[in-house]
Amino acid sequence: MSTVPVEYFLIVAAVLFVIGAVGFLLRRNLLVLLMSIELMLNSVNLTLVAYNRIHAANHAGQNLAFFVIAVAAAEAAVGLAIVLAFFRVRKTIHSDEANLLKN
Amino acid sequence: MEVLHHQFPANDFALLAIVLLLPAIGAFVNGIFGKRLGKSAVRLMALSAIGGAFLASLLTFLLLPHDGGRLSWLAWRWMSVNGQSGNLVPIDVKFSVDAMSATMMLVVTGVGFLIHLYSSEYMKDDPGYHRFFCYLNLFCFAMLVLITADNLPVLFVGWEGVGMCSYLLIGFWFGEEKNASAGKKAFIVNRIGDFGLIVAMCLLIYYCGNLSWDGIEKTSLGLLTPVKVWPIGNLSRETLPSFLGAILIPDKPVQVYAATLVALALFLGCAGKSAQIPLYVWLPDAMAGPTPVSALIHAATMVTAGVYLVARMHMVFVLSPAAMAVVAVIGVCTALLAASIGLFQHDLKKVLAYSTVSQLGFMFIGVGVGAFAAGFFHVFTHAFFKACLFLGAGSVIHAMHARIHDTDKSQDMRNMGGLKRYMPITRWTFFISCCSIAGLPLTAGFWSKDEILWSAFSAHVANPAAAVTARMAPYEWPSWLGQAIYWGAVLAATMTSFYMFRAYFMTFHGPFRGWTIVRGWKDPHAGHGHDDHGHDHDREESDKPLEGPEPHESPLPMTIPLVVLAAFAAFAGFLNAHPIHIAPLGHLLEPVFEGAGRFITEREGAKGMMWTMMAPGFAAFLAGTAAAMYVYLNRAGQPERQFAARAGWFYRLVYDKWRIDELYDATVVGMVDALADIFTMADKWLIDGVLARLTALLTALIGTLLRTLQTGRVQVYAAVMLVGLAGVGWFMAVPHAEVAMDDTSLRATGEVKLSAAPGYGYTFRWDGLAATDSQLTDRASVVVRLAPGEKKDVKVSVKNAFGLESVETVSLTRPGLPPGAKAPEAPRVPGMVRPDIPTGEIPADEIHKLLLPRGADQAGEKGEQK
Amino acid sequence: MKAFDLAFFGLTALLVLLGGIGTVAAKNPIRGAMGLLMAIVGIAGMYLQLSAEFLAAIQIIVYAGAVVVLFLFVIMLLGPQATTSAGAAGTKVSRYFGAGVFLLSAIGAMSLLWRTRSELAALPKLSPQHGTIEGIGRELFTAHVVPFELSGALLLVAVVGAIAVARGKQVDPTLAAKAKAPAEAAGGGDAGHGAHAKEAG
Repeated sequence: MSTVPVEYFLIVAAVLFVIGAVGFLLRRNLLVLLMSIELMLNSVNLTLVAYNRIHAANHAGQNLAFFVIAVAAAEAAVGLAIVLAFFRVRKTIHSDEANLLKN
Repeated sequence: MEVLHHQFPANDFALLAIVLLLPAIGAFVNGIFGKRLGKSAVRLMALSAIGGAFLASLLTFLLLPHDGGRLSWLAWRWMSVNGQSGNLVPIDVKFSVDAMSATMMLVVTGVGFLIHLYSSEYMKDDPGYHRFFCYLNLFCFAMLVLITADNLPVLFVGWEGVGMCSYLLIGFWFGEEKNASAGKKAFIVNRIGDFGLIVAMCLLIYYCGNLSWDGIEKTSLGLLTPVKVWPIGNLSRETLPSFLGAILIPDKPVQVYAATLVALALFLGCAGKSAQIPLYVWLPDAMAGPTPVSALIHAATMVTAGVYLVARMHMVFVLSPAAMAVVAVIGVCTALLAASIGLFQHDLKKVLAYSTVSQLGFMFIGVGVGAFAAGFFHVFTHAFFKACLFLGAGSVIHAMHARIHDTDKSQDMRNMGGLKRYMPITRWTFFISCCSIAGLPLTAGFWSKDEILWSAFSAHVANPAAAVTARMAPYEWPSWLGQAIYWGAVLAATMTSFYMFRAYFMTFHGPFRGWTIVRGWKDPHAGHGHDDHGHDHDREESDKPLEGPEPHESPLPMTIPLVVLAAFAAFAGFLNAHPIHIAPLGHLLEPVFEGAGRFITEREGAKGMMWTMMAPGFAAFLAGTAAAMYVYLNRAGQPERQFAARAGWFYRLVYDKWRIDELYDATVVGMVDALADIFTMADKWLIDGVLARLTALLTALIGTLLRTLQTGRVQVYAAVMLVGLAGVGWFMAVPHAEVAMDDTSLRATGEVKLSAAPGYGYTFRWDGLAATDSQLTDRASVVVRLAPGEKKDVKVSVKNAFGLESVETVSLTRPGLPPGAKAPEAPRVPGMVRPDIPTGEIPADEIHKLLLPRGADQAGEKGEQK
Repeated sequence: MKAFDLAFFGLTALLVLLGGIGTVAAKNPIRGAMGLLMAIVGIAGMYLQLSAEFLAAIQIIVYAGAVVVLFLFVIMLLGPQATTSAGAAGTKVSRYFGAGVFLLSAIGAMSLLWRTRSELAALPKLSPQHGTIEGIGRELFTAHVVPFELSGALLLVAVVGAIAVARGKQVDPTLAAKAKAPAEAAGGGDAGHGAHAKEAG
């Protein structure tokens, strides 16, 4: 059983979340955006599991992480389908081209 | 019956809901689905709705308590308003029925059913069939609300409802400009009256604090308060220029009783609805609607709502003999004026319309002289004979439409004549109703009109104010007024019998003048659409005389209502034949007007003259009828033409309705038009030109600014979201020191309870108390005790789980001087240091002001000055 | 804290952070996907340290086995166009501003966490079932059975939706019109190019 304190994991998770969020904001490739979202979801999962380590009476955190993984898988599938559909119309996956709302 | 009494107790009489809802459902179904349902389904729906309502009304009538009580049903609580001294005046959606409203309900649903039946045939070919029955059912619903309402606001709902239905039905054939503008005229003139009704309601709330019938009756003595009506406000000779003051301000302020104001305001509403001078002008124009509508709304039911309201509010009217005099005088003037206009009209429906106005005048004479039961009884009989006359006219017009499609020409009596051979049922029913309205003894009209005449002659309206208060000189009726009204009414009755029999003889006797009757005539244009006919005939008429078949009697659904109504027109009088002591209806109504009866006494000198004074009434009938018979039957209208030729200007003046409409156009309407022009200019230049443009500019500016944020790019939105997230995180991570103060007992005991807002993981430290906390505790509230005149600053520090801290300082002061102390010196708590208030916190002075009750700070200052 | 534990943690943390940065920073999305794979494996290792063995397995199977592969499929499908050049910089300011604000606040949050780490509970002794299939499964099929079924339905809907969207037979006419405009511009360029080539010929 590991003896590394939980806050280490929390810090790693926070850093990973920041990396994902900043990536989501700064990159323009729709695929990379989706990957950034995956990173953020993973960091949240990590946080949930880490807290479950110190509040170990049940598996609430791990169960929640399990559901998040399921949702993330669904999100990835639908998101990639949308990227494909978008690509078919615009012939690019540049996120700035997704501006129909503007006009 | 016992079961029904048990099922519907008098104070929760839910049967009224059925009476009300059936027509409403009928209107709803016909209005929404009528087009798809088809004509037979629409007819079934409309007839069963109103027929069911009639049966339920009949049951209600039978279940009426015999001692004059009410059956009432509270639908729901509506609202309440503040009365004069802050007491709440409840306004509930409540309905109640007494003898008068139950009778009225029977008339509305009964006559309404007959007219529905008649219309189902009369309107057979109209494309707006479902619309017509929707409006008709809706009208019945609104009229029933009006009748069964238990208070003025609910009555007002029905009042407006019937007004709206009247508008919709007058303009039923809105394709023609004339009809649409007649509808508008009715609506607008009625608005003037409604204004009066609203004013009356406000006054009643103020002076009575009640709007329900029972409540007004109980508190009506509150209306015997003198009210200064002029000069208004603080207008006086000092505040006005001298010459104006001398003219406008009388030596003594003008005072009237509140009862007079309320009654006159109510009467304004009644004059609008019931077409009295000066608001009668809409009713003759209202004949633009389909004839059954004229029969139901503009003769039998809606226009009598004004009379009903006066009778209903009799407890207010009897308190003001002046208002009663106004009602009676207006009534007799209207009766005379309308009857005189009716003398020379050629349009059959116009004659009937003016006769309606005139008869409404009779009803107001009745209620005006305090004979509320007599006035109401005339409403009752009038509903039958006038509905019968209108339906008969409709039947005639229906027959004339076989060859004459122009509306005006088909209603012109000069094109009729000799119809008695072709339309026997219509002729006989029309004749009976004519006799009734003209006052042939023993018919319904005779009994009701005679009672009104007798009441006008005999009644003495006592002033109750004299008995109750001597604060103002009471108004008394001059002794000649009753007799003047009586003779005016007799004159109007003479004219009535003349023009009614003129109409009868011109329509049913003499040769037929519509077209040349050819036996076995076939319509050469049978293949054409109905709409083309008008044109063809107009052209034909110009070169050769019109030919056509024999006029035909109307089909059964139209003649049955005629027969039933004529039967009632003949015999309904025996329900209230006082002179021969057969008056079941009168006995039923007695308890309703019991309260008013105290103030109406028999005039001295009228005693025992009842049978004598019947003679002029009978003579009026004889004279009018004989004159009409001579002129129109024996001489075939020759004298009228001679008169028209000799006194042309006078004849034309009467024919043009005394040019009252033109007078109104020149004065009132012209003024409103000028005002509207001014407002149009203001709207165009001020509102549109300046204000609207400014607003648009401002909006565009803000829009331009905000639009830069709306890039339409998803990542920008995500960035904004993350900034927001950071903000929320900041809010969550930082502790919030907020202190709520409870200083209710500050002045009494000097205790103030301070409680800090709670939060996750919060710990508190209180400074400035007797014992300062040395460390953080989870004590969220403390009680501070202050000596009089003492001032204290209390500081609370809040720390949360993240170790962040926040500080709040409150300053407390107790007003007053410490007992025995000369100079106020704040007792210092050892170790207490006034903390520096960080910028951005609320200054101590502000809190001090907030803490003190209003006016306390001045008191404190005075105390200190001593 | 045992040295081995710390070393293992350091290794996984390195994997996670490098993988994360690689995901976000890579020009080529294939490299990005590899970075994502790295981060996911690292997180699976962390799950092991946190006694979440079942989740570690799931993480590898679902993410590494399915999601990353799906990404790779799409990247392959798009071919060279999966790599985008830097576009117009119209929204640069707001994006950098948002990122900056968030970065600062995240650093603040982390420092707060670090300052108050003593408030966190100590690591408790765990039951033998903690994080195993048996332990999680027992809760999943008793207390959380409804969300579990719902997540199944969600996945089904997602599959159907993904197919419906990706098949894309019915193209919205407005979208098609929008797509035509840039295509025509590109076509014009090509024509010019062709003319140039002819001239050269």
